[in-house]
Amino acid sequence: MADAEAEDLLRRLAPQVLGAVARRFGNFDLAEDATQEALLAAARQWPRDGLPESPRSWLIAVAARRLTDLLRADQARRRREDTVARRTPAETGPPPPGERNPADTDDTLVLFFLCCHPSLSAASQIALTLRAVGGLSTAEIARALLAAPDTVTRRISRAKQSIKDSGIPFARPPAGQLPARLDAVLRVLYLMFNEGYAATSGTELLRLELAAEAIRLGRALHEALPDDSEVSGLLALMLLVHARHRARTAPDGSLIAMAEQDRSRWDRAAIDEGIALITVVLPRGPTGPYQLQAAIAAVHDEAPSADATDWAQITALYGVLLGLEDNPVVALNHAVAVAMATGPRAGLALLSRLADDPRINGDRRFHAVRAHLLERSGDRHAALDAYAEAARRATNLQQQRYLSRQISRLHGSG
Amino acid sequence: MKYMILTYASQQEYQELAGQPPEQRAWTQEDWAALGAFMQAFNAELADSGELVETRGLSAPVHARRVQLSEGVPVVTDGPYAEAEEVLAGYWIVECASFDRATEIASRLASCPGPEHVRARAYADVRPVDEHQPEFEG
Repeated sequence: MADAEAEDLLRRLAPQVLGAVARRFGNFDLAEDATQEALLAAARQWPRDGLPESPRSWLIAVAARRLTDLLRADQARRRREDTVARRTPAETGPPPPGERNPADTDDTLVLFFLCCHPSLSAASQIALTLRAVGGLSTAEIARALLAAPDTVTRRISRAKQSIKDSGIPFARPPAGQLPARLDAVLRVLYLMFNEGYAATSGTELLRLELAAEAIRLGRALHEALPDDSEVSGLLALMLLVHARHRARTAPDGSLIAMAEQDRSRWDRAAIDEGIALITVVLPRGPTGPYQLQAAIAAVHDEAPSADATDWAQITALYGVLLGLEDNPVVALNHAVAVAMATGPRAGLALLSRLADDPRINGDRRFHAVRAHLLERSGDRHAALDAYAEAARRATNLQQQRYLSRQISRLHGSG
Repeated sequence: MKYMILTYASQQEYQELAGQPPEQRAWTQEDWAALGAFMQAFNAELADSGELVETRGLSAPVHARRVQLSEGVPVVTDGPYAEAEEVLAGYWIVECASFDRATEIASRLASCPGPEHVRARAYADVRPVDEHQPEFEG
């Protein structure tokens, strides 16, 4: 079997194996180490010796054997360190009743909840989710997050230590906590996805792998919770945005705004899949922010050009989104949509309301949007000032160069 | 051993890089694209050889803040550098066999494309990272 095939299979099985072992032994920390070692052993042996009859059982057996060794070593060390306070048998004993043999998707879900536990920092949540649910090695995570391998190792071990210290059980959160805990999982996936788009010069390709990994994990979550509308909404959103990635950059590496993208290069299959997901959940409700953002992305993806976009519908969707969350970036996008639907002056009127909001009035994006709308309204001088203000506030060279080009273009047209 | 490779630029040079002012000294789109392609290949090669620990570029010095004690109280100054003052612009941390190997890596930056006046004055420093090996590790 080819290396790539083995890798793909291993990543799919990783959360199932870890779930099974953690459930049986009740020790997430060591179960995670043991699973990583089993995955490494498989990555070495399978491409050479061929696939075992049941890859999943093979991995669980190897991980369980390794875990037994680790537990013995751990206990021996503890006996040396502390002969008085013995371990309570519960930690290495059988799982509590009612938790036997749940489906594999359930294990995956429990892993998501554990890795995205609110007591962990966002950076740890992302690293641990990539490792435990995604089955990525430390080196792969380091590459994807642009972090040093040492840093990733520390983040993961610190996260596992906090899980151990806080005594969080390997089980579904109680029903009352479920919505809040699911929100945390969705936020981690969304952060991971966006991180993939925070491209630094020369790293674009590596980062897109991270966005693709977020989508893969989004699929796993959707498989575990097929009836949750926001889970579907987030998966749809990621698919609908990622569908445009090939058209986002020019051959010279510069970014292309959506209005100027070659839409024939958008990924039709991803768009169809995203639209199918959102079409099922939107009428069903309850409507949440991920579904609304996915619906907006879908309207863009379906339009043959920027001018032929259904801006009235996008305006309405942003209006609903604004009602759900007081977010100045959403308000900015809403103003753009209004300007596209009814003219630049209406958009500028909305922007003037944001001009006193300290969360956004110092932001490059606010000034760039204002400049664009001023230009469309025919006020060239004010537009030039606003572009200059945006360029002054931009901290990214790529964005500064884009704004400089707008300034040169306006100077040239005067 | 780890080594840090450092490059420098002034606010003025950052502005040229950003295409401001749009006069003759600004980097053209071709210059910019060549720089991006060079850096991408340079970083990918270091990542593939396993020597790259981390690399970052810093935003223009005008965005810097300086924190300094003034009469015993920390005081913040925005954009503390003079227009032509050279400041840290970016760095690589590499882990490699020898100081000479790190220097060899840094020397390859000399073939980084760019306008002639920039190439004429550009330089990179290589400095060993002061690493303390722990006495014991579990």
